Amino acid sequence: MKIVVLVKEVPDMESKFKIIDGAKIDESQIAFKMNDFDAYAVEAALQLKEKFGGEVIIISAGPDRVTKEVRQAFAMGADWGIHVNDPQIDAGDNFVVSSALVKAIESLGGADLIMTGVQSEDYQASLTGVVIADMLGLAHCTNVVKIDVAADQKTLTINRELEGGLNEVLEMSAPAVLTIQSGINEPRYPTLPGIMKAKKKRLDVKKAADLGVAELGEAGSKTKFIKMFFPVSDHKAEIIEGDAKTAAKTLVDKLKNEAKVI
Amino acid sequence: MARIVLIAEQRNGKLSEATLELCKAAKEIASMVGATPAAAVFYKDDSIAKEVAQYIPEVFSVVDAKLESFSADLYAQAVKAVVESQDVKGVLIPHSYDGVDYAAKAALAIGAGIVSNCNKVAFEGGALVFTRNTYNGKIQEQKSVKTDKFVATFEKGAFDKEAAGAAGSVTAVSASLGDSKRKIKEVIATMAGSVDISQAKIIVSGGRGTKEKDKYNDIIVSLAKKLGGEYAASRPVVDAGWTDAARQVGQSGKTVAPALYLAAGISGAIQHVAGMKGSQCIVAINKDPEAPIFNIATYGIVGDLFEVIPAIMEALG
Ligand SMILES: Cc1cc2nc3c(=O)[nH]c(=O)nc-3n(C[C@H](O)[C@H](O)[C@H](O)COP(=O)(O)OP(=O)(O)OC[C@H]3O[C@@H](n4cnc5c(N)ncnc54)[C@H](O)[C@@H]3O)c2cc1C
Repeated sequence: MKIVVLVKEVPDMESKFKIIDGAKIDESQIAFKMNDFDAYAVEAALQLKEKFGGEVIIISAGPDRVTKEVRQAFAMGADWGIHVNDPQIDAGDNFVVSSALVKAIESLGGADLIMTGVQSEDYQASLTGVVIADMLGLAHCTNVVKIDVAADQKTLTINRELEGGLNEVLEMSAPAVLTIQSGINEPRYPTLPGIMKAKKKRLDVKKAADLGVAELGEAGSKTKFIKMFFPVSDHKAEIIEGDAKTAAKTLVDKLKNEAKVI
Repeated sequence: MARIVLIAEQRNGKLSEATLELCKAAKEIASMVGATPAAAVFYKDDSIAKEVAQYIPEVFSVVDAKLESFSADLYAQAVKAVVESQDVKGVLIPHSYDGVDYAAKAALAIGAGIVSNCNKVAFEGGALVFTRNTYNGKIQEQKSVKTDKFVATFEKGAFDKEAAGAAGSVTAVSASLGDSKRKIKEVIATMAGSVDISQAKIIVSGGRGTKEKDKYNDIIVSLAKKLGGEYAASRPVVDAGWTDAARQVGQSGKTVAPALYLAAGISGAIQHVAGMKGSQCIVAINKDPEAPIFNIATYGIVGDLFEVIPAIMEALG
């Protein structure tokens, strides 16, 4: 099977975030990593390759530093990749980035399966997979927690997660786009030989012009970013001060005598 | 007059709470932009359309046997049919499992920009401004839509539920629906387990911050036992197999409302909070003072759970 996995780089969410001019986060203070949900997608693709053969191709859009996450996917076992590296694409909204990813997939002559995470941890939009499927005219399924591919390598039996622990079991045909939910598998850690091999794997760099992307930057976007800020909550917890021992004592006292819940 | 249309959501013929929240949203947004609020219902008959009409003055009903269960393909086509037959300015969709499965497709079908996962909306400088959570709830952003029409999805709880009122009108909209690219075989329950944490009066819940299975057991399970309560977890703990799926709290797990919910090493992502915000008293223990969990907790301790929880055990005697 020819499987494309779309991988995004995100900040480590435990970072201490600083916002510059209400417009962007101060990236100099941030450690970056692979979007968790995408790691599950990479693992799912690798498991299908192990079963059916074929290749796993990583596509990622972002600045120079995202090669680190692409190489991480290589070290896990992916074969090669495309790095869509153009500030004009990064400056666009989800529609612009998705349009560029679609062009990159088309440049491969399509794929049997295209997988990505349910959402990115930073933008939390849950749009990309569905947008790409629609632009490519393919079937899709979001929130996938189980994938069974039949021997014909076309018939897919998929579990789609629903609220409250329910799963919808459905059948569809490849080619298709699947957005992968956490917990579907256990993403493997790269091995040392894997890391060595990853350095030599092919990574094509493409700009908007190479891909023929027409929608660029803010002008090509359908939405407009206004500003970002830290949430102001009308409720804040009563923070109990002191070292662990003191705070614990006070808490137990409050739970017994103030809240009366223990 | 232009309309703000919410798309109703049902499972097995039962209307979702999110639909009633969006009835409220449609009314608020419509009054901001000088439009009228309406709903669209896609189902095998017009029973649900009639039900929704108790909450909103105008309902467009697309009836087709194929719409008995949800289909992303057919919902996107039905949205297009409604938008083409009526003067529609905005489409509101729940940011739910079904909602995220078709909202972007519907937006593309009607050539509209989409802002997803919103929790607030305001009208500023002649434009609707949508506020949404980003960075795992640590940062909020505001966006507007540049196209004539817009699609917005709203997270659960963004609006109060609308109360039933005078019955509105139901208008049939015809749509020639194609076929769904997916065929539903069955719906199964995956979290059946021996334990029902929703009955517990005290719940001690551990998140990714508990680090590993043994530590989760040592710290979280021990404290739960000491307090005579149940132990529970956020999703990453269940994903990693440190405890059973039946103990997961949140959107894709259990909804609980105990007298005491103690969350340790849990950041407070919206999907987790959805399952426990009704608790009477919430205690958060987290080393990150900016963790969103502190915005909903009653009491908070900023510190290392591996020091704080043993100290609580000691203080309990
Ligand atoms: C469709 C969908 C459905 C979902 N459903 C659910 C659901 O039902 N339930 C759910 O929980 N999640 C759900 N999620 C996932 C959710 O978005 C979050 O990823 C998840 O809740 C995060 O879990 P966490 O807080 O344990 O981990 P993290 O967000 O990684 O937070 C860990 C926290 O631990 C703190 N910490 C680390 N070490 C220590 C220490 N030594 N002492 C004290 N604190 C420490 C950190 O500061 C951090 O705040 C869902 C996501 C999606 C997309």
